[in-house]
Amino acid sequence: MRVATDIGGTFTDLVSVDKHGKITVAKSHTTPPNFEQGVINVISKSQVDPKEIEVFFHGTTVIINALTERKGAKTGLITTKGFRDVLEIGRANRPDLYNVRFEKPKPFVPRYLRCEVEERLNYKGEVLVPLNKDDVKAALEYLKKEGVEAVAVAYLHSYANPVHEEETVALIKELWPDVAVTASYEVTKEWREYERTSTTVLNSYVKPVASRYIDKLDTKLKEIGMKSKEYIMQSNGGTTTFEQSKVAPINMVESGPVAGVFGSAVLGQMVGAQNVIAFDIGGTTAKCSLVEKGEVKVSTEYKIEKTDRTAGYPVKVPVVDIVEIGNGGGSIAWIDGGGSLRVGPKSAGALPGPVAYGKGGTEPTTTDACLLTGRLSAKNFDYEVDFDAVKKAVNEKIAKKLGLSVEDAALGIIRIADSNMLNALKLISVRKGYDPRDFSLVAFGGGGPMHAPILARELGVKKVIIPVGASVFSAWGMLMTDLRHDYVQTYIRRTYELNLDELNNQWQALENEALAQFKAEDFSKDRIRFSYYADMRYLGQEHTVKVLVPAGPWKKEDIDEANARFHRDHEQNYSFKLEGAATEIVNLHLVAFGLVEKPEMSKIETMKDPLETAIMEIRPVLYEKDGWLDTKVYDRAKLGAGVTIEGPVIVEEPTASTVLAKGQSVTVDAYGNLIIETGVR
Amino acid sequence: MTSAAISKNIDPVTLDIVKDSLIAIGDEMFYALARTSMSPIIYEVLDYASGLANAKGQLLTQGNGACGFIGLLSFMVNEVLDKFGENIKPGDIFIINDPYGGGGSHLSDVGLVMPIFYHGELVAFSANKAHWTEVGGKDPGSWTTDSTEIFQEGLQFPCIKLFEEGKVNQGLVDLIAANVRFPDLSLGDMWAGVAALRTGERRFVELCDKYGKDIVLSSIEYLLNHGEQMSRKELAKLPKGTFETVDYIDDDGVNQDPLKVQVKVTITDDEFICDFRGSHPQVLGPINCSYTALCSAVRIIFLSITNPSQDVNDGVFRPLKVIADEGSVFTAQRPAPVSTYWETMIYGADLIWRALAPVLPHRLTAGHLLSVCAVIVSGKHQDTGEPFLIVEPSAGGWGAGLGKDGEVGQFCIGDGETFNVPVEVAETRYGIMVDEYSLHTDGAGAGEFRGGAGAVRSYRAMTDNQFVTATFGRHKFLPWGINGGHEGSANKFYIIKTNGEVCGPFGKCARFPLNKGDVVRLITATGGGYGDPLKRSVEKVALDVKNGFISLEQAKNDYGVIIDPDTFEVTGLTPEREQKEGK
Repeated sequence: MRVATDIGGTFTDLVSVDKHGKITVAKSHTTPPNFEQGVINVISKSQVDPKEIEVFFHGTTVIINALTERKGAKTGLITTKGFRDVLEIGRANRPDLYNVRFEKPKPFVPRYLRCEVEERLNYKGEVLVPLNKDDVKAALEYLKKEGVEAVAVAYLHSYANPVHEEETVALIKELWPDVAVTASYEVTKEWREYERTSTTVLNSYVKPVASRYIDKLDTKLKEIGMKSKEYIMQSNGGTTTFEQSKVAPINMVESGPVAGVFGSAVLGQMVGAQNVIAFDIGGTTAKCSLVEKGEVKVSTEYKIEKTDRTAGYPVKVPVVDIVEIGNGGGSIAWIDGGGSLRVGPKSAGALPGPVAYGKGGTEPTTTDACLLTGRLSAKNFDYEVDFDAVKKAVNEKIAKKLGLSVEDAALGIIRIADSNMLNALKLISVRKGYDPRDFSLVAFGGGGPMHAPILARELGVKKVIIPVGASVFSAWGMLMTDLRHDYVQTYIRRTYELNLDELNNQWQALENEALAQFKAEDFSKDRIRFSYYADMRYLGQEHTVKVLVPAGPWKKEDIDEANARFHRDHEQNYSFKLEGAATEIVNLHLVAFGLVEKPEMSKIETMKDPLETAIMEIRPVLYEKDGWLDTKVYDRAKLGAGVTIEGPVIVEEPTASTVLAKGQSVTVDAYGNLIIETGVR
Repeated sequence: MTSAAISKNIDPVTLDIVKDSLIAIGDEMFYALARTSMSPIIYEVLDYASGLANAKGQLLTQGNGACGFIGLLSFMVNEVLDKFGENIKPGDIFIINDPYGGGGSHLSDVGLVMPIFYHGELVAFSANKAHWTEVGGKDPGSWTTDSTEIFQEGLQFPCIKLFEEGKVNQGLVDLIAANVRFPDLSLGDMWAGVAALRTGERRFVELCDKYGKDIVLSSIEYLLNHGEQMSRKELAKLPKGTFETVDYIDDDGVNQDPLKVQVKVTITDDEFICDFRGSHPQVLGPINCSYTALCSAVRIIFLSITNPSQDVNDGVFRPLKVIADEGSVFTAQRPAPVSTYWETMIYGADLIWRALAPVLPHRLTAGHLLSVCAVIVSGKHQDTGEPFLIVEPSAGGWGAGLGKDGEVGQFCIGDGETFNVPVEVAETRYGIMVDEYSLHTDGAGAGEFRGGAGAVRSYRAMTDNQFVTATFGRHKFLPWGINGGHEGSANKFYIIKTNGEVCGPFGKCARFPLNKGDVVRLITATGGGYGDPLKRSVEKVALDVKNGFISLEQAKNDYGVIIDPDTFEVTGLTPEREQKEGK
């Protein structure tokens, strides 16, 4: 039995699969601040026998919560003399261009806890000034006196040579063994001191929280009799062991959301779609990510709390590229100062929630609009819906101001929400040079199925896949993950003067690091696979393109191949290439997978009863192009493999509703996934 | 909802969707340029702007890295329309950097304009303007503090065709390559700019294909009217009346006399009039600013005052009027040098800011470093022997405001989504080492809310025969405080030679020679304070001392708080503070 649990803002989800491929799903309330209790609750609710669990996967929001709620440890920083303010100056950028009252992000370590020590390397990693250990000792005494619980160490040019950081950590472990410590080289080996220092500080800041949480969870799981291997979801779309996760917990920053992207890639493979766009609509946000040829895109450009108004905090660890926008089921519709209709990013959240929830919400939301247009049925809700209250909210807040009928205003809300989401989807596809016709859209989360078929047609995607259990799909994705570790090393070399021996030593060092880590995790060598990437650019450029390059060790022709792929990718992304121009490698990036055995998906039966027996009701639904149409609503649970239904149609399940327009059709595949033809030729 | 749109029977939601798509196109063009540029001044400093204008040259959407470009694109497009009119053909691309008209600032900011045709009809323009690292001229980096004529400042592109019906003017490209010091950088940026223009064109045509030309053109009207309505709504909330300020620019770089500048702002129910008449005539040195650059400065602060978070288009600025004498330091005429125009331009914003700050505390703060504090270092790299060129702004302190301390280490208002160059990147790429990058904790700008600290950045030359040129305005006249808050401190720089000789402090300096081991120490201003320092809470004062933002003496003398030097605990108040607190 394999079990995945995923902690979300409102619910903790569980998906399990037994050796026959049978899937069980359970949901239980999230239980802050003792999140581990929610995990135990959902296991008990699912009636999975803890002793039967062989492999346990876990996704958690504990790290991102500790960061955004500022509930991490009191942290001190030790850094190169002359540079303690690097963390506070940051990059000095001001995204909120015209607001002279803007506020730059406050550093996680205040100035008085940032200590300088004498030491200096140059850009080649050569030691110019040796580490002054007395300075380190003095800093430690001071930080101890100040009651610090965690220490970050970040020196200039440590990506080129970590020697002084290593010496410092050794000294700290000797003099102050119980303090949590992170050196920058342990979490990132990329240049740019502010970004590296920020990452190091954030890792130290969450380290005590992470350790406490993982330990408590581990203890609780053992208490209920679980003896399985335990893995935790990382932001790179792979997993790591509980033990390893405590060393660099910052890698769990996007632990939950990326599982859905990975799941989409796996599901795509199963149904023969190598290129997919993962599309997840929740209560407050919509997220999307592009998967090309089965490969989830990972970069180290992630920032927490970055918006178009604030710079945020960089986290240079590998995170799946996800574009997230403030548009979900609970997003509020409003009219701006110039009379334009807008939706989100403000959300009614779980409380009071949409007007339809009847919990005191007065602001019209996307969910309310879906109700008024017939996309959702009042029967979808757990409680009595006050239809008049919903109508009144849309009428007074939107319709009257635009001079529209209530229904047209509701449709307008959906169209604006769709337009916002369409822009996000375009950002990851068309604007990166991808043709949506080459991709299938995998839609999940509570709202994904409702919006996806019509949106996909707008975007130009031919096929939409609504997986089984769409609302808990992220947890399913976790069941399908492998162990994954990323190793990124800054290595700035012009490709025309590459020294192959030196380069291959670099590849070898990264491979050795990976092998050592898997060994520490007790993972067998024959199940390890490597992928090789290089961050490349034209000489003189700053920004790089991540290129999948030939496996190491390299021969001379591999350089040509890497260059050829770089030119191609550059043109794909930016519409031009400079074939004659010199190219440069900036980072080497090794991805190491520890392959885990995957469960088989079980097939569903074909339908014995006539299709009509699956019809729940016929209700009028308002469509953008066709107006009101009587629409058949089918019960997803009753549909068998192989049936095909023409739109307009709605397929309902308890936690989601799939809406198809006229000219679209849906087929149930052998596993029970809904495969939708969007009408795009 | 506009009446025009209703009469055409287009539903408001479609108009909104097309409007949002236009804004998205602007964003896409902007990022396309940054990601492909060859020069740090573009990809790190984001010293450029790109956008779309309608067929009449009105700005529809603009992506900005630096605020200073906010007024320039539409002037540029208008110049193309005026000069070429019927001779604008599909596939044409115009190049323009005339500082005195046509959206000019200085020669380094090179504009590109491309008409967009739909089925043979001119429907819009795609445009961008970017700071090229090099356009030739007497000094590396093309700007300097001692030029006296435009002809010393580089190549002039007086609105000419770079592409004619899709065919590149190779003669012009060769001419550029021959006249600039780093042709790969300059031409690389030019191609990146051309690619971004074409992205804009492609997306605009796609939009017309999808919704139909008429709906797109209606949405454009709607977009401009929407912007105007948003502005007017905010304008209605502003206090009405006349507000005046006088200030002084340090000097023009050639002569040492201060220059008086002034503004009279008149706010009525439907107009926001900025009258700069009476300001100093244009000068011999290169700090002269053109009228279009002045308009940009005024637009920046107009947005700060009305609605900083709104999408920008020409409709937004319809209530705005800018008046100035001809041939003033704000409205320079040929052949006045303009290469460091920003030293004057930002006064255009700062004067209005200062005039209105006391009455708009929820929008405005005390004065900030004001100057771009721009630096050029040129020389050879110690390992590769290749020439390098640093051209960059410096971060400094911002003013405090009601309820907030000033921000530390930020670029001035003329910049924006501008990134400093990381020390590790600078030391790899340039022939220098950075001895220090820290906050300038001089404790100036005392107040109930404290001015933000400036920054200190030191470059040590790693080879002989390097040169530094820098212009640090607000060197003699300090960032202003409000409501009893103290003034901030000066921008300045020193050169410290290996023999221990210290030269400076300077506000401006051209081509100062550096040999191996010499250090240039760049120090930026701390911003002005807000409110009486004696009203700052004692806990904050104690923490300020502990953090090293103010000294023990300043805690006592400015804030009236006596603090234990070892424990940083408050041990008492001065009689002055006690009296103020009524004890």
